Amino acid sequence: MRALHTLGAVAVLAWLGPFGCAQNTMYRWGGYDEALYDHYKNPQKRDDYVAKLSGIIQAAEEHGGVVPPGCYAEYGWALYEEGRIADAVVYFEKESKRWPESRTLMEKLIRNAARAKAPAAAPAAVPASTVEEAKK
Amino acid sequence: MKRILVLAALAAACAQPPKKDYSKLISSNPRAILVVPVVNKSVDVDAADYFLSTLSVPLAERGYYVFPVNLVKRMLEDEGMADASLVHGSDPTRLCTLFGADAVLYVTIEQWTARYMILSTQVTVEFDYVLKDGRTGEELWKDHQTGVYASQSGGQGLAGAIAAAIVAKAAPNYMPMAREANARALAYPGPGFPAGPYRPEYRKDLPPPAAPESPAAAKPAAPRAPGAPQAPAAPQ
Repeated sequence: MRALHTLGAVAVLAWLGPFGCAQNTMYRWGGYDEALYDHYKNPQKRDDYVAKLSGIIQAAEEHGGVVPPGCYAEYGWALYEEGRIADAVVYFEKESKRWPESRTLMEKLIRNAARAKAPAAAPAAVPASTVEEAKK
Repeated sequence: MKRILVLAALAAACAQPPKKDYSKLISSNPRAILVVPVVNKSVDVDAADYFLSTLSVPLAERGYYVFPVNLVKRMLEDEGMADASLVHGSDPTRLCTLFGADAVLYVTIEQWTARYMILSTQVTVEFDYVLKDGRTGEELWKDHQTGVYASQSGGQGLAGAIAAAIVAKAAPNYMPMAREANARALAYPGPGFPAGPYRPEYRKDLPPPAAPESPAAAKPAAPRAPGAPQAPAAPQ
């Protein structure tokens, strides 16, 4: 089964070759860029985009590959936007652990998620304090 | 059947990689790159987002951590920075501090156009790439890429089919050309970046320092052998 998967992946890579992408890649992207493109093209099909992100993570983890940089965080953000705060934090933590470069941002998102989850606090959509300073 | 002419712009861009001064980039030694939303000077309002979707993969494959572009874009939008030119105009050191990035990549679409003529269709993309340091705000690297495809009647083959898809009159598909432009901009040796920390050749592929006109400058210290496998940085 695994061999079949590998064969399939090789065939897909070979097919994509002439298009100038997906050859000898370090990461198992699983169509991340196409998923993002489709999301921007058809924003009403948001569920497809989120499912695709989930699929990329699952496929990479199952095959022992590294989940590409940003994928955990992007998926966590999608969950966050749906109000699935606790689930979102799980993926922010995964991104932070796998990619230490993301720690500053992930910690801000996690702190913000904790505030959003607290019943008293208004559920801010975004870590407002983090970006506010950027405007200056 | 259609015969497709691929204009020489691509070949020219590949044949003459401009000599670049990598000293600032090498001493800055960034690990994590923040790709901010794209400034769009074309009339195609969708181009900026479409092009943004093409940048993460080639950058990360050069061995750098790339911040999730959609998350970054949404965070900026929610804070009133939906206008990419506002983001491009803001202080790179501040952006880097906020996101924890080492450098910011600013990309501008100069052209994203299709011209329909009597016998052919011409599709043009043109991009400007600038990387700035997160600590000093200095420019570390820049590149400029143009891609032009034109179709004429007659011809056949796979290349023809691809180009025919690019110039299909109903909706020209710019994405293959955008990806090609990124690949050329980031190719190394060439105009692109030396390998980042997640590539096995990190710090081993640097150009010889301070020898811009010597013959050695044309041959990087450790060129990738054409057939050599690119070992993954992590188990697959």
